[in-house]
Amino acid sequence: MSLIEMQSIIKSFKNIGFETQVLKGISISIEGGEYVSIIGPSGAGKSTLMAIMGCLGRPTSGMYSLDGEEVESMNDKQLSRIRNEKIGFVFQAFHLLPGVTALDNVMMPLMYCSEIPKDATERAKAALQKVGLGHRLHHTPGQMSGGEQQRVTIARALINNPKIILADEPTGNLDSKNGAEIMKVFDQLVSEGRTIILITHDPKVAEHSNRTIRLKDGLVEEDRYHETVQKHEAGISGPAAE
Amino acid sequence: MKQAFRGLRLNKTNTALMTLGIIIGIASLTVIVAIGEGTKKSVLNRIANLGFGPDAFSVYAGAGRLFFRKAQMPTNLTLQDADDIAALPSVRIVVPRQRKRLRAIYSRNNTSTRVYGVTPPWQEARAWNVADGRFLSDQDMERKSKVAVLGATPARNLFQGIDPLGKSVRLGTVFFKVIGILEEKGVTESGYDPDNRILIPLSTSMSRMLHQTYLHSIRIQVLDPGQVSKAMEDVTALLRQNHNLSSLAADDFRFVTPQGIMEWVNKQKLAMNRMLLLISTISLLVGGIVIMNIMLVSVRERIREIGIRRCFGASRMDITQQFLCESVVVSLFGGILGVGLGWGISAGLKYMDWIPTQIDWQPFALSFVFSTLIGLLFGIQPARKAAFLTPEETLR
Ligand SMILES: Nc1ncnc2c1ncn2[C@@H]1O[C@H](COP(=O)(O)OP(=O)(O)OP(=O)(O)O)[C@@H](O)[C@H]1O
Ligand SMILES: [Mg+2]
Repeated sequence: MSLIEMQSIIKSFKNIGFETQVLKGISISIEGGEYVSIIGPSGAGKSTLMAIMGCLGRPTSGMYSLDGEEVESMNDKQLSRIRNEKIGFVFQAFHLLPGVTALDNVMMPLMYCSEIPKDATERAKAALQKVGLGHRLHHTPGQMSGGEQQRVTIARALINNPKIILADEPTGNLDSKNGAEIMKVFDQLVSEGRTIILITHDPKVAEHSNRTIRLKDGLVEEDRYHETVQKHEAGISGPAAE
Repeated sequence: MKQAFRGLRLNKTNTALMTLGIIIGIASLTVIVAIGEGTKKSVLNRIANLGFGPDAFSVYAGAGRLFFRKAQMPTNLTLQDADDIAALPSVRIVVPRQRKRLRAIYSRNNTSTRVYGVTPPWQEARAWNVADGRFLSDQDMERKSKVAVLGATPARNLFQGIDPLGKSVRLGTVFFKVIGILEEKGVTESGYDPDNRILIPLSTSMSRMLHQTYLHSIRIQVLDPGQVSKAMEDVTALLRQNHNLSSLAADDFRFVTPQGIMEWVNKQKLAMNRMLLLISTISLLVGGIVIMNIMLVSVRERIREIGIRRCFGASRMDITQQFLCESVVVSLFGGILGVGLGWGISAGLKYMDWIPTQIDWQPFALSFVFSTLIGLLFGIQPARKAAFLTPEETLR
């Protein structure tokens, strides 16, 4: 069984009386270790699909199983545990807790583990060092640049060692140089064997992945495997500064 | 817990407002309890100062309420009544009294005081010695002498260090010679001054001060404490007969006894406690509603934070707990400050001599319990509202 298995997923929103179908029957399966990018025009339902993948919302109908577990039958507590242990989110708008240090932001997911690890602080420090922010432990989001903030969110997504990273336009708010840095971090994560699902508008970003799924009007329009660009020449506009 | 503190630190204005709501509620609760306790104590003190032993009681002219009557002096208790009571077998001492609030004047000094017309046995009944000079004598009674025994307070206020003995004080329009000074008892904690009194012979009071023979009250001391209730029955029968009351008419006199006073105090206490309960419930309710409203606003403002936490594994339970924790922390904090403020206000009221107050452990325990309860009770609704937002909605 695949890591992510979706069959005929439909999602509709009810707004004052009438219903709009945003996802109109999506079937995808993604294996562990894949690097998938999801592209498509605005309003195609990319973010909605990602919310369902990340167990943030439930599909209106359809079957979804994640790592062998049926998601529909789960209660809030079980869904929360899955989000906590198996998934790490990275958002375009960062979504860091304001006024909280990088260290505490990164540590936050550990506070919701069934047993809070004793080495939480050390782990958070290590995660920040890994994304190159060992010198920014006690800065709050307001005191950091966009690129630094996005690296904090990656450290936060990684802290609980999840199998899957879900990233919704992680480079959307960054300039090309910072974007390239972030993509380098993602490339490294894939080489560690994590599964990455990345939503983007930027075809150059999509080139980093080895599979691209194109959504349109709530349906899969195209799903193809392709070559990954070489890591050392990765970059959105020219080679990344080393 | 740590998260709760962080949340509160980040929303300083909201936290301050909520704390203020609780502070006001708890402070007023504290002040109210302090005033209640203080008043109770002052009443009890006053009673202690009526100087009743277990073998004494008084009969006052006029029926009705025990204390704080406004009606003019009733005219039905006479010296004849006092003499008849004295003839009862169980009675040891009888002291008939008249009483009037007057201005006492010596040279350029004047002071407001209570003037009592009493008989010489007063001293034995009250067991109150003179510090200087002598007490009223039977001779003074017979001669209707214009002599006075001063309590320590008027002696000090009028004479200011001069020896009062032998001097003349004016009570209303009549001059009296000072023959003695009572021992000082000291002002009670509640502010009642037992030394603010002047005693003159009852006969003098009747003929030269009040110009009438009716008594204010009769103090009765029995031979044995066990005979008090029997003596009261006898006195009732006697007075009803003397006053020609038909069997249907109500008593035109009332007893003041240690038990009667206790009952009265308990009744007052009950009425007061009920009022206190009402006022503090209202003020705490207001505080609670303030908390609830601000928490609801804060939930709306912090939707994003809730969403982020939900994304990384916070369950509904976790979010509920976080918000509940915040409201309990706020209300406990407000409770502590509130008790402090209330305590300060109570101490101030007492210091300024406006209202007697008394702080015990009760306000502390009460505010602890109440502020926790308020935090839980009014925090639950916002907390649940926060928890039932779906993470999908919150991050839009
Ligand atoms: N809670 C909701 N209620 C009503 N409509 C919604 C809701 N969430 C999403 N939609 C609608 O669903 C459609 C798809 O939204 P979604 O956010 O998934 O698009 P997207 O592909 O991520 O677009 P973008 O590239 O602009 O981020 C949009 O038309 C949006 O208006
Ligand atoms: Mg989107």
